[in-house]
Amino acid sequence: MPMYGDQGNKLVQHAKRTQNLAHLPPYQTELVRAVTREVRDLDKDVASLLEPFQGSFDPSADQATACTLLVNHLSMRRNKRCLLAYHRTRTDKLEELIWSGSDVLDLAGQQAGGANGGAPAADSGASSSLSPQEEDYFRQYGDLLAAYKGQWTDIDLTGSLEPPRDLFIDVRVLKDAGEIQTEYGAINLTKNSQFYVRQGDVERLIAQGYLQKLG
Amino acid sequence: MSYYDIDSILTDAEKIPCTFQVDIPDLGYLDNTPTQPLKAGTKVNLPLWLAEMLAIANTGDAEGKSFVTFDLPPALGNDVVQALKADPRAVPLRDQSAHFYGLATHMMELSEEQELAAALRKTFVTRASEVALHARKVGGVGHKGKADEGSNLGIGGAGEEFLRGLDEWERKLFRKAHDGAKSGKEWMEGVKKH
Repeated sequence: MPMYGDQGNKLVQHAKRTQNLAHLPPYQTELVRAVTREVRDLDKDVASLLEPFQGSFDPSADQATACTLLVNHLSMRRNKRCLLAYHRTRTDKLEELIWSGSDVLDLAGQQAGGANGGAPAADSGASSSLSPQEEDYFRQYGDLLAAYKGQWTDIDLTGSLEPPRDLFIDVRVLKDAGEIQTEYGAINLTKNSQFYVRQGDVERLIAQGYLQKLG
Repeated sequence: MSYYDIDSILTDAEKIPCTFQVDIPDLGYLDNTPTQPLKAGTKVNLPLWLAEMLAIANTGDAEGKSFVTFDLPPALGNDVVQALKADPRAVPLRDQSAHFYGLATHMMELSEEQELAAALRKTFVTRASEVALHARKVGGVGHKGKADEGSNLGIGGAGEEFLRGLDEWERKLFRKAHDGAKSGKEWMEGVKKH
């Protein structure tokens, strides 16, 4: 029996799955559209139900209409809650990703490369798993965080909370990352090469998945 | 429970049996007959988010009658409750409802079933200690020496069966207890090293 609220429920089940994933699954454009359409239809129904009363509806005089209105209203409210919860789950995830140092391009690459995305799939013209609004949110939140961090130049707020055991570590390069500048000169990070570097210099690159820490 | 809480929203989608008290021409679709009016006395399974408000809303009628009356869902039916009274650990709650306790607390808010509430309380307490016991075993906490994270040495047979039957709330409890025991162990090992 298809019923008002069923589509919204699907959306929330997606959100539930999203909570347990490390990456963000594709945005459910169709489903979101279907739920908003349902709300608009319900709103139209309410308007046409109330029209003959010319603004003087008495619920106790017409219980059947009152009940229909209540059901319509509750269905709209339910859909609203489902929509908000779905989007909130995703923005929470986005904020988490920003704090851990991922970027939008990485996300698109992951989606194209399947679950693990080990292969360099970023340039295959994959569409992002974010909606355009989410991409906007991601960018602007990233800017906010950067501005916030800028106030303390000597502390990296998104750095690791674990005190390092060693100042220098061995790393292997997983993806070409170009040249980086360190206190000891420039290093050219090409794929599959190995380096002995100062941990502080490469922490961001490890978090972004360019380098792998060895040992 | 928060407005945005996913589990709470999913709990609200659980259906309970309702009986309509009034004729309503436009709601036939709820009984799968969109062209027919919905007659008083029709039984329909409605999700909690709808049933709850319809049951407590005032129809404006002098006798104080509501739009629908509801019964306890099968998950809280006599058979299940009798089984829970016999041995709470032997019932796979998940088969009744993935959000068994969420559904149960909702129903307890809507009706006054003292005996059922007591049985549910006892169920939770008995099962919670069992959950805690399993959570300590998994991952090798308590197995000295051959402790290896992720090893399932502790559970097997009956234990696995029990864990499969946990409802969503109990699963959370299990995860918390398990993670807690694991982090505690890791911390202790860290202390020894330095």
